[in-house]
Amino acid sequence: MDSNKKYWKGLEELNQTPEFVEKNKHEFAEPIPIEDVLSGGGLAGRTPRRDFLKALGFGVGAVSLAACQKVPVHKSIPYLVKPEEVTPGIANYYSSTYEGSAILVKTREGRPIKIEGNPNDLLSKGGLSAQAQASVLDLYDINRLKGASKDGSDASWDSVDAFVKAELAAIKAAGKKIRLITSTVNSPSTLAVIADFIKQYPTAKHINYDAVSYTGIIQANSNSFGKAVLPHYNFDKADVIVSFGADFLGTWISPSEFIRQYVQNRNGKSLQNKKMSRHIQFETGLSVTGSNADVRLPIKPSEEGLALINLYNALAGVTLAGSKKLANANTDKAIALVAKELLAAKGKALVVAGSNDVATQVLVNAINSLLGSYGNTIDLDNPSLQYAGNDAEFVEFIHEMDRGEVDGVFFLNANPAYDYYNTNEFKNALKKVRLKVSFADHNDETASLCNVIAPNHYYLESWGDGNSLAGYYTVVQPTINPVYDTRQAEQSLLIWQDNPVKDYYTYVRNNWDKNLLAKGGLSGQKGWETLLQTGFVKETPKTAVDYKFSRDLNAVAQTILDHSNALSAGKIELQLFQTVALRDGKRSNNPWLQELPDPVSKVTWDNFAAISPADMKDWGLVDGDVVKLTANGYTVELPALSQPGQARNTISVAVGYGRTSAGPVGDGVGKNAYPFFSLRNGTFQTAAVAEYKKTGENSPLSQTQTHHSIEGRNSVIKEATFTEYVKNPAAGSGREEGHKNYNENNLFWQDYELDKKPYNWVMAIDLNACTGCGACVVACSAENNVPVVGKAEVGRRREMHWIRIDRYYSFNDDGKGGVTEESEIAKLDNLDNVKVVYQPMLCQHCEHAPCETVCPVLATVHSSEGLNHMAYNRCIGTRYCANNCPYKVRRFNWFNYWNDSRFDNYLNNEHTQLVLNPDVTTRFRGVMEKCSMCIQRIQAGKLKAKIEKRPLKDGDVKVACQQTCPANAIVFGNANDPKSEVSIALKSERTYYVLEELNVQPGVGYQVKVRNPFELEA
Amino acid sequence: MRSFSFILKQFSRSVLLIAGFAFLVSSAHAQADAAKGEALFKANCTACHKIDQQLVGPALGPLLEKETDDKFLVKWIQNNQALIASKEPKAMDVYNKYNQAAMTVFSQLSEADVMNIITYVRTDWKASQSIPKPGTTGAPVSTGPSTLLVFSLIGIILLAFVIIIVLNKVTSTLERLLLKNKGLFVEEVVVAPSVDRVAQVKKLLKNKKFVFFILLVGTLALGSWTWESLWNTNVHTGYQPVQPIKYSHELHAGIMKIECQYCHSGAYKSKNASIPSLNICMNCHKVIDRGLNAKEPSVEIKKIYDALGYDPATQKYDTTKAHPIQWIRIHNLPDLAYFNHSQHTKVGNLKCQTCHGPIQEMKEVYQYSPLTMKWCIQCHKRTNVDFKGNAYYTNLEQVHKLLSENKKVTAAMMGGIECGKCHY
Repeated sequence: MDSNKKYWKGLEELNQTPEFVEKNKHEFAEPIPIEDVLSGGGLAGRTPRRDFLKALGFGVGAVSLAACQKVPVHKSIPYLVKPEEVTPGIANYYSSTYEGSAILVKTREGRPIKIEGNPNDLLSKGGLSAQAQASVLDLYDINRLKGASKDGSDASWDSVDAFVKAELAAIKAAGKKIRLITSTVNSPSTLAVIADFIKQYPTAKHINYDAVSYTGIIQANSNSFGKAVLPHYNFDKADVIVSFGADFLGTWISPSEFIRQYVQNRNGKSLQNKKMSRHIQFETGLSVTGSNADVRLPIKPSEEGLALINLYNALAGVTLAGSKKLANANTDKAIALVAKELLAAKGKALVVAGSNDVATQVLVNAINSLLGSYGNTIDLDNPSLQYAGNDAEFVEFIHEMDRGEVDGVFFLNANPAYDYYNTNEFKNALKKVRLKVSFADHNDETASLCNVIAPNHYYLESWGDGNSLAGYYTVVQPTINPVYDTRQAEQSLLIWQDNPVKDYYTYVRNNWDKNLLAKGGLSGQKGWETLLQTGFVKETPKTAVDYKFSRDLNAVAQTILDHSNALSAGKIELQLFQTVALRDGKRSNNPWLQELPDPVSKVTWDNFAAISPADMKDWGLVDGDVVKLTANGYTVELPALSQPGQARNTISVAVGYGRTSAGPVGDGVGKNAYPFFSLRNGTFQTAAVAEYKKTGENSPLSQTQTHHSIEGRNSVIKEATFTEYVKNPAAGSGREEGHKNYNENNLFWQDYELDKKPYNWVMAIDLNACTGCGACVVACSAENNVPVVGKAEVGRRREMHWIRIDRYYSFNDDGKGGVTEESEIAKLDNLDNVKVVYQPMLCQHCEHAPCETVCPVLATVHSSEGLNHMAYNRCIGTRYCANNCPYKVRRFNWFNYWNDSRFDNYLNNEHTQLVLNPDVTTRFRGVMEKCSMCIQRIQAGKLKAKIEKRPLKDGDVKVACQQTCPANAIVFGNANDPKSEVSIALKSERTYYVLEELNVQPGVGYQVKVRNPFELEA
Repeated sequence: MRSFSFILKQFSRSVLLIAGFAFLVSSAHAQADAAKGEALFKANCTACHKIDQQLVGPALGPLLEKETDDKFLVKWIQNNQALIASKEPKAMDVYNKYNQAAMTVFSQLSEADVMNIITYVRTDWKASQSIPKPGTTGAPVSTGPSTLLVFSLIGIILLAFVIIIVLNKVTSTLERLLLKNKGLFVEEVVVAPSVDRVAQVKKLLKNKKFVFFILLVGTLALGSWTWESLWNTNVHTGYQPVQPIKYSHELHAGIMKIECQYCHSGAYKSKNASIPSLNICMNCHKVIDRGLNAKEPSVEIKKIYDALGYDPATQKYDTTKAHPIQWIRIHNLPDLAYFNHSQHTKVGNLKCQTCHGPIQEMKEVYQYSPLTMKWCIQCHKRTNVDFKGNAYYTNLEQVHKLLSENKKVTAAMMGGIECGKCHY
């Protein structure tokens, strides 16, 4: 509750390793070798007079020659015929859909430059994930396929059409099978096209295949309740949430939506109503969800099923056959407590499990049925349609190919040659197929095995629709003309099936006119135009009803126990997970995502083997040591990383890495972990028995976690428990006894009297809402043209992000014991139970800004609106400001990242540069940069108000990080407007300012993190 | 439309003169009054017809020269719909030939009126045919002095100078010889001044005060020149590149008084004033294809047609031939400075001329203002903000305070010279 609690970002900081201490001495890890030059050879060495004159002569000559160039002539090329809706310099917004979520696409002069959430979106209400934010960059990927190809060489669309049609006719005549393999399709129009295709070719079948599938849940629901659906979860209706390895705030089903729901019971508003949900997480590796949980218990994958059985026993008061206690007494105690909590919250409880095992999910269904969750926290009547993959069908499809029954196969947005666990089996079987067509827009692992590639449009170039939730229909509309000679996959299918409707746009229109517009009470041309504006239609949801589980569980328990025994047979258990940034690896070629530090591990540009610190010590490993991992007959070498919170004797590895044909950015980043998957009872399993072997090599990871040390200033993070909060809302904020005036002895700082000015732009960040998902980091990069620097430069602490999410660990015992004492720190067991706080850190726009006082050229100065301005072209790169910034938020441009062949992964081509925001300068080598509070948006907001002759309203200006935050953790606005959202937020008793005691008077207020744990000892 | 009628007035006035002469000569249709016809033509026909070229309707000159059946013409012009409705074969021919486009019915015109118009058109057409075309007579249009011409002129002048000097020398020698021969010796005037001059210079050089003065003046001159040129590095006031089309703001904005916004539509709503797209040019230039009194279509206007792939004869666009016009940017504000037109025009109520100078008098546009930061800031410091009628400023207390004290409020006082207002 007070500052004697120790917070640390990485084990090197906790243990103060000599390397860390050395690197941390300076703001810039690698000093310029000026001392060497001056003390070493630099001064002692003799420069002969003639050499000096030669150098001088050359220098003067070269400079004069360079100065002789003429001022370049700039062309100004207007439209020939300007489209009516385009005004150069003014952005247009179009509604569209990203993976089932309604979005707005910001375009400038006809090119999309940013994706923003649609505030009315049913799923995330304007929030967007890091992936969605980054998706705009892929449009300008120069490695996309630029036209159709046949047998590896370029071909015209006509010749491809002729070939495919002839082949299809032949296959139809021969009566051979045709298969359409897609990742989950929920678009009604695409499904209709596929249905038409099957009508034309009756031997065809559509198979949904997801790299990371949810077949287990769907089949379990079919098993338990006769409804083969993925339920729609309502985390906002749950007071007690228990998750067994489901990373629902990071990667599980619909994370942006779940973050929004989850935070509703935990944010400032909810706390003021004295209400906060309790979240208990049982998991193997530390996930985003686990790190946000009130209570987190590390368990091995093999213990997951067992823990669920014990929970069921405790809830139902029975003992399923074969039940046994868990090895860890703490977990056993926790299960008993959890059962009590859940029963007390009947009807407002939710239990979820991340497993893809049908038996496990059936057991979870039984538990939820006991708790009365159906109809309340789980909705089976308005199911989610985001995932429909069927693992068994896909495996059967490979067998069919292998038996030579399949003669035609089409891959749409599916890449099994990379993400199927047994790629060899798949590749060999595929060889036996006559017609192989891929719609991939990259020459990916599967496309390169196909004889025809008919590259699909990118979603920003397409017409289409989405249906992520039953009764919720969104529209996809193009925001740019196709960049390359691609063709929409649905269009190709229409042509190949000789559909009377040749044009997919017409097809979509017909489908909406006939079937969908009416669902939103719309019709005709006007209805369609309304749809294009609003982006979606929705039906009144059906009433969710209760479902009762009534099946015998003994056999289910036995299956679970068998699996559990199989997993615990070896010494080490392997768990596979997805990272928040890359998810299943489809967007591997996106540099924004590769450079986004993983919320928990803070690793960029790599995957790794996460091992608990105690095991690292026992096994004699240090960070970066390459280990050879073997499981399910597959071996990869991965660098090890000690991950506090990792269950003992387990290793976690992320899938989505190790692409070989993703493009120059994604290729060779990390290792492919998909082959570790296995098939069990018809579903893919994410856990396996593993072995490891040391290789003796070390491959350092580019981890950003300790790049910005707080130098032991523990007051940056403040937290309280919910019980304490209820007693005193100011608990933990350091302001329990009121606000301390640190400005008393101020002799130095100028007072700007901001309260007398029209605007004082400030920000409030609710640490209790922030889940650390990282969407803000990518949104900021897109809005402010923040460069990508690559793995090597991140390793040198030179990442450029204007906003970062600091992840702090702390020990579990609430500072009561002696965590600050050395002996306790040595107890590595503690590291299994770390607590995590996420803190978005950006320029605090201090009123007493230390950076401003040290700038010798006045490149960074204060504004009358409370902002800390940064004039790049005045900066001469002394970097004094960064050295003097207590928050370490100033970033230095070491290179011209947008025009340097060493940084080929990002903007180093004219095409990708089209994604740049034209209202923000790209910074040159040698200048400092930092968060500007999206000053371009502030200025634009003010100008709009001036033009419309009205006062600026609260909410007119939204900064990029605030706009994308699915949790609404960030609030920005005018502090001088007492009614503004930010003023109200900052008035909360929980508000504190980071390093307030320095009297820098920051403009960003944070709100105390509140936890709602239960005491295990009780 | 104003400009359009203006051009027509000018055009028709000149046509009238020629037509007057032609009228005296011709006698075939002397009974009809061409002058009355002209007035009627201008009032009723010019919206769709021209005499010498196709507009919405066909060019009337050549048409009426061929078609001599005046009775039919009168009927057609008075009520073409009736003729078509009665399926008169000749009428049907015309109707089908011109894409079944309906012509306006002119039942208010009497037969005499129509005959006057026809007469006018015929005489006018004949007159314009009889005037020799400049292109056909072979006299090439001079395109200004060529560089060769300029250089040879300079050469000739130089040569003349040399000759003058030589001749002068020769004359003076001859004169001296003549005088010598005559015995009138005038040699005493020359008293070896050259020796003295050198000594004088030497003496001056030894004068320290003089040398110091010279050096001081030299240093000051050089210094101020350096200072000036450094300050003006990359300042391009007066920059006036040659543009791909010789577009004249003097004509359009000055004489024709077309509003700036008509073409630069972004100036009041966007950061870019934006160079107009060609469809805006075509609003007028679809009809106006030549200068005021020109007989020939303008070469410059033809460039618009070429860029659009537009064929004035068929009035069709061929987009495959279209190519953009690459104007040369005159006002190059560096990327590091953000400038928004609408802030200054719409909100600040500034006139375009404040920064762009007397644009309505510029034949070719040049950069009027230096576009330096100093220039920006000076204006922000000196210009009072115009608050009137803008509710945006109502809740800015600071402004009210200053205004109540009857003080002026400049942009700078509102934070208008802070770095981050333009640099981000």
